[in-house]
Amino acid sequence: MKHKIWVFAEQVEGELQAIALELLGAGRRLADKLGADLEAILLGHNISHLAQTLCHYSADRVYVADHPELAQYRTLPYRRVMVDLLSQLPEPPHTILFGSTTTGRDLAPRLAAYLETGLTADCTSLDIGPFEYSNSKDQSKSGTFHDCLYAIRPSFGESLKARILGPWKNPQMATVRPGVMQAVQPDYNRTGTVIPLAVNLQESDRQVQIQEIVRNVTHQVQLSKAEVIVSGGYGLGSPDGFQLIKELADCFPNSAVGASRKAVDAGWISYAHQVGQTGKTVRPKIYIACGISGAIQHRVGMDKSDTIIAINKDSSAPIFRFAHYGIVGDLYQVIPELIQQMRYALNSRNSQAA
Amino acid sequence: MLWNFSIQADDIKKFSCTANMTDRLCPLNSYVLIKQVPDQSSKAGVNPDGTIDRAKAKRMLNPFDRYALQAALQTKQYGAVVTAITMGPPPAIEILYEAIAHGVDRAILLTDRRLAASDTLATAYALYKTVLWASRGRSLDLVFCGLQTTDGDTAQVGPQLAERLGIPQITYCESFTLNGNSITAKRVIEGGVQILQTQLPALLTITNSAQRLAYKTLRGAQRVQQLQRDEQLRSQILHTVTLDDIGADPERCGIKGSPTIVAATEKIGEIGGSCHMFQGRAVRLMVGELLNQVPLESLLEAR
Repeated sequence: MKHKIWVFAEQVEGELQAIALELLGAGRRLADKLGADLEAILLGHNISHLAQTLCHYSADRVYVADHPELAQYRTLPYRRVMVDLLSQLPEPPHTILFGSTTTGRDLAPRLAAYLETGLTADCTSLDIGPFEYSNSKDQSKSGTFHDCLYAIRPSFGESLKARILGPWKNPQMATVRPGVMQAVQPDYNRTGTVIPLAVNLQESDRQVQIQEIVRNVTHQVQLSKAEVIVSGGYGLGSPDGFQLIKELADCFPNSAVGASRKAVDAGWISYAHQVGQTGKTVRPKIYIACGISGAIQHRVGMDKSDTIIAINKDSSAPIFRFAHYGIVGDLYQVIPELIQQMRYALNSRNSQAA
Repeated sequence: MLWNFSIQADDIKKFSCTANMTDRLCPLNSYVLIKQVPDQSSKAGVNPDGTIDRAKAKRMLNPFDRYALQAALQTKQYGAVVTAITMGPPPAIEILYEAIAHGVDRAILLTDRRLAASDTLATAYALYKTVLWASRGRSLDLVFCGLQTTDGDTAQVGPQLAERLGIPQITYCESFTLNGNSITAKRVIEGGVQILQTQLPALLTITNSAQRLAYKTLRGAQRVQQLQRDEQLRSQILHTVTLDDIGADPERCGIKGSPTIVAATEKIGEIGGSCHMFQGRAVRLMVGELLNQVPLESLLEAR
């Protein structure tokens, strides 16, 4: 029987999320390498029309659960649908991919625990390949395995990537960071099989009620849409440093303030500003990193920015190894000077034009 | 069927809390799961190749767990007894003393060599057995976890533990209120928040946008001193347990119980050498040169 690669196709308010298409792109490459079918799982309400879109983006088959109680994501109803579907199958899929979103990171571990199978978090790269394993402490796991999922993620705070494998049991599961995988070009003539699913929730699945959902709250940080991001790190030395960061960001009409995890952990700024492995992935035109050392955890969230400018006192900081431009100096001197010179350059340019 | 698996498997009858706080027969019980992690801001224990030598690294309470601890301590105003639980090598007891200094009532360290190389599934199983052990003869109302750890960064153990316990979860929780046996919690999602409500028991994972951990209390600090002196008191408050003590199956722990392994690590390629550096000159000159290369002022024009 042909292997299956599954993709959890996330939608919000009837809108497919970019991560769903990114996962299909990643899933397609894995499926082709494995000679497997690519299947998407779509849950929601009044969302059946999205199944065609998933086929355009290379799904061979789409399972659709369309039910009023699935309109908004809730752990237990979604878990039930996934569990029921999996238990009907003659054999489990080879791989299941979720996005590393608040939904994927909520649902995937719950399901992995139910299935007692492996799950790798926040992957930045995926592959299929062989694996030879021997372990004197656990002979039962030793052997040569073909066609394993390679789940690749940066390992903590280090300049290392870890390849995590769990070939002993299918499904092999992973969550994948939004913004790192490429969707395929859509083929609007492409068709696939759409399979509707019966939804049979149990009383215990309804334990958690949604009282309210507030979206687009005004203080929301628009990191993903900003043209210019100015980020501050631990090198700011104190929470007050973010005043200066904000002042620089405010010079640009479409900008946002970012932060490294250490600055967030220190309580200097809220988590919504965090860029990196455990925060947001961004790719603005200009990324200005101020007092950020450039640990891998930060780097994976911003190294696809068009132009990276680093300001740091320490010339050996890792950030200078991947920034495009670097100023070695005290950010408390450099930033005010930068603001002043930018304004001066703009004024003199405007006065020339006049 | 599996939904109730944990309750059946372990025959615990304590999930039957009554509808109103005043009607409760037992006090509320909160459990907070915390972890000791390497302090990555310290240079100690960081090898030249970027890996961390855990034996030499400075140790600290996982930063996210500070928020979980605060959340658990907040339930004391509802009369809760708060139990802190950690799993790790013997030095992890340090963070239990820290938790006691902040006001938790009792603490449990699960330590066993057979837990080495546990992945998240095996960890969640071991913690599940520890929570059951900790809650014997008590109710199990609320379990708090940090959203994730700073060493593993997975955010998986909380939901995996909730699945084992067969209870609902609220991840990315920023704040909550208790009303009788019902909890209302704010959950942070992309571009907004959800307000969720459920009956207890429930497991919450707490974000680092939640309320910050209050200072250690004087009473807590005195308690720690007392515990360090008084062995008998210590044996009542602070328990160190092994897999055998909690009745955990060693086959489901450590490397044997872990469906994943780290198969290889590789250095991330340096883009290196392409950074155009400005250094060793006056700030005014360096900024001027930067703007020559990258005309940032052109982006200001839309104003």
